[in-house]
Amino acid sequence: MKKLIILFIVFISFNQAQAQVQHGNVLIKNGTVITITKGTLENTDVLVKDGKISQIGKNIAAPTGYTVIDATNKFVMPGIIDAHSHIALTAINEYSNAITPEVWTGDELNPFDISIYRALAGGVTVSHALHGSGNAIGGQSETIKHRYGTLDMDVLRMENAPRTIKFALGENPTTHGRNSGLQPQTRMGVEFVIREAFSEARQYMETWDKYNKEKLVKGFRGAPPTYSLRLETLADILKGNIILHCHSYRADEINMLLKVCKEFGVKRLVFQHVNEGFKVAPELAAAGAMASVFSDWWAYKLEVYYSTAYNAAILTRNGVVTSINSDSGELIRHLFHEAAKTQKYGGLSDDEALSLITINPAKQLGIENRVGSLEVGKDGDIAIFQKHPLSIYAIPMITIVDGVVRFDREKDPDDMRIYVDPKQVVDIPTIQSHDHDHDNCLRGTEMFTNKMLGLN
Amino acid sequence: MKKFYSYPFNRWALLMLFCWPFSLLAQDDALAPVSRTYALTNATIIQAPGRKIEAATIVIKNGLIQSVGKGITTPPEAIIIRADSFFIYAGFIDGLSRIGVNKPKDDVSKERPKDPGNPTPERAGITPHNDVRTVLNPTEKSLEEMRGIGFTTAHVVPYGGMLPGNGSIILLGGTSADAMIVSHKNSFYSELTPAERAYPTTVMGVMAKYRDLYRQATLTKNYQSLYASNRAGIERPSSDRILESFYPVIDKRQTVFFKAEKVLELQRVLTLQKELGFTLTLIEVKEGWDMIPKVKASNAQIFLSLDLPEEKKDEKKTDEKKADSVKQAEKPKSAAELEKEVLEKRRTDFIAKYVGQASAYQKAGVKFGFSTLTAKSKDIPANLRRMIKAGLTEDAALASLTTTPAEIFGLSDRLGTVDNGKIANLVISDKPYFNEKAKVRYVFVDGVLYKQEVSEVKKADANAKVEIEGSWSVTTVTPQGTAQSTLTIKKEGTVYSGEIKITGSPLPLPEKLTSIALEGNVLKIAYSISIDGKSMDVKMDVIIDGITFKGNTTVASETFPVEGKKDPKF
Repeated sequence: MKKLIILFIVFISFNQAQAQVQHGNVLIKNGTVITITKGTLENTDVLVKDGKISQIGKNIAAPTGYTVIDATNKFVMPGIIDAHSHIALTAINEYSNAITPEVWTGDELNPFDISIYRALAGGVTVSHALHGSGNAIGGQSETIKHRYGTLDMDVLRMENAPRTIKFALGENPTTHGRNSGLQPQTRMGVEFVIREAFSEARQYMETWDKYNKEKLVKGFRGAPPTYSLRLETLADILKGNIILHCHSYRADEINMLLKVCKEFGVKRLVFQHVNEGFKVAPELAAAGAMASVFSDWWAYKLEVYYSTAYNAAILTRNGVVTSINSDSGELIRHLFHEAAKTQKYGGLSDDEALSLITINPAKQLGIENRVGSLEVGKDGDIAIFQKHPLSIYAIPMITIVDGVVRFDREKDPDDMRIYVDPKQVVDIPTIQSHDHDHDNCLRGTEMFTNKMLGLN
Repeated sequence: MKKFYSYPFNRWALLMLFCWPFSLLAQDDALAPVSRTYALTNATIIQAPGRKIEAATIVIKNGLIQSVGKGITTPPEAIIIRADSFFIYAGFIDGLSRIGVNKPKDDVSKERPKDPGNPTPERAGITPHNDVRTVLNPTEKSLEEMRGIGFTTAHVVPYGGMLPGNGSIILLGGTSADAMIVSHKNSFYSELTPAERAYPTTVMGVMAKYRDLYRQATLTKNYQSLYASNRAGIERPSSDRILESFYPVIDKRQTVFFKAEKVLELQRVLTLQKELGFTLTLIEVKEGWDMIPKVKASNAQIFLSLDLPEEKKDEKKTDEKKADSVKQAEKPKSAAELEKEVLEKRRTDFIAKYVGQASAYQKAGVKFGFSTLTAKSKDIPANLRRMIKAGLTEDAALASLTTTPAEIFGLSDRLGTVDNGKIANLVISDKPYFNEKAKVRYVFVDGVLYKQEVSEVKKADANAKVEIEGSWSVTTVTPQGTAQSTLTIKKEGTVYSGEIKITGSPLPLPEKLTSIALEGNVLKIAYSISIDGKSMDVKMDVIIDGITFKGNTTVASETFPVEGKKDPKF
């Protein structure tokens, strides 16, 4: 077994070694540099060498071969991070079973998704490509860097980002369960499904540990336990190797999962949506659980009626590491506006408000040592704005990932598609509108529900 | 919302219309030839890519090539085929397809299982223990079609989901499934195809399941060998057909043939290979031009698809536009029109990438074969010509059809070239094969001669005079089978009237023809049928040649070839 795991690790690192990530050299001159963690610096330069921030200061001379960007009268901030998104994925929900931790959205990455470029146009450089919320224990998810232009799935992955997984509580998994006549059909059912899964995983872990110990004895001849990628993954959660991100709305279900996680020793826990988080903010803070919320979006189903635009501010003031997410290919383009709403509703400071879309989501994804603030040694992921990013007049001008300019408003071609479908009929372009009246977490399951019910 | 899996009405109606009693035309029970020895004389023989001899002779005996060359004496018992001015090649080898393979009957597999999260392995598409030999059908229609364009050998796999089963190399001829086999269990065939309405429903589900099964199999295999070394005192490992199917793959005695049409599928398959370490052959690759370095690094063998996206068709229009370009110049184009032009150009450029893929692999020095899993046989010769026009050399094209697949399958001692001792698989065309006007005249499979009928297509002629009055036997060829019907046309004065009756159809036919138009030798008729209160229009356009006609019939936007023969008058 150990051998297998080692092999697996070797292959993964081999994978990453092979992915050819492009690193750039760039000097950003004379901007207002919002570092997030170390204050805001006027008329300051930022030097990115080989994809990493190597110097922040005044009057830095441009080494030869560096791209120089004049940021006079502009604002330079860390690339925005979205802790909850479903862009760049060819599928979101493996909905057929209540428990599917073995699946991984990293297998569904789509580097050709134009949404990546649109996100860049909103200053977003990193997003969390989450599994959907169709089942209680969904799939593992992938943290991606918006290296739009690459053809390679592996290049899109943020190398060495911690593993994450999606759980879901409340209406989504239970509606799906009721429609299909399967577990879970109620909130108590959801709790049971999670408890049962964790218990089985604990047993699995113990059985394997016992076998691996016995195997060390010379002359041991016994059958190995049955391998299960599903239980293996759940065991990795219990071991603390995977950060748990849980779709949730109501205070009662949040409390429930806090309790279950405490019992099973799961410490790295981030709640997603958390519309009633303001009711349980002290409890979240005490448990060290984090929260990723919408700024002011609710009432798209019954469980999301009890909501407030003060949610992010209340959570923040209670010491909960809070982020604002998009869950949408459209919202992701103006997360800076979303963050600014917390200044009207809750009076957060500039740094607090911008932390909601930078260093805090970085912490929730376990990548705060790499991104989320402008500091020497961190990745050269930078967004340059005209007007302050929290101003209603803010316009993202240039977005840089690993020192490579991936979006430049001045050079923004009409057709940014990478691969073109040879069968697609080209028509005179028209503007399409999409109703934006529900979250995207259940995408892919509607058909299933209808099929189950035999609905039209 | 639309019903998700409702059978499209049109399709259903088609079945009703044409395919009620499957009136499959049995293949003619030809008499056995008087001799199994053949001599093809005075031909241009392309023994292998770049190895050509002129005015040479091939002698075939007992299914093998006995001798090839100049000045060979023909044995007295040989049936002599004068192949003057003909071109002889080794029979083509199809890297992967389902020709000759019975399609499973519809469609129990799409019903929702009681617990979609835990379907049976069969329902989940996990049947790696299946053997294509059990579903081979020597009378399957596509065998003849593929033979008609020069294919004599194919690697075939069963139908199924993510793990359909084991593939075999077959000859496109033979009287029984076993007689068709050249070698079996050549491949462990895999796809990233999810199960419908049951786990795994997504590609990530398929990949997770693949890893899960592979690692399970690695463990059970180790334990089985531990058990085999000394059985006393330890638990007996249980038999497991699915996991055991992985053992030869884990031991690298069997290659995983993985379908990877699209560029992302290619990357996903290569990811699985890197993680699990199996020997890989990529199949039906269509979007691989950017992945050449990755494919090279993986040491995978590769078969490129012979299916290509259709060429843009509005070239004629452009010519017309050019003709009155003066007028065009006066009217400036709108911004939307200009944008559309740019978008169209990108699409055309992209089609060129598909067509140029083979050439790109050749330039990169990667050997490849061709597979036809999703290609239509009637498009294949033209697609090969498009690839050649895009830079693929004719020798490389021929190698990909003959020597390279033979090498990949380890059959170079038996197949792939026209040399003494090899299996007598030959394709004989009247012009060099890649010439647009070339027609395949004879095909030998395993020393058995298949003559190809070369029929000149009668051209439309507005001045021709034909007689359509009378009764015609009409044969319509649909993918589901061949349908027979009777067309009766009467003439009163100058007005035609008529009706059509489909043999054995349960529909309230005969139907009156709603229009009959004859112009020269072109006959166009139309009628409509009513199924479940819905009316469908059927059109038939044919060219009359004496007492026969040929053409197409169109119903529900699907077109089928149709042939007719006038019934003798009594």
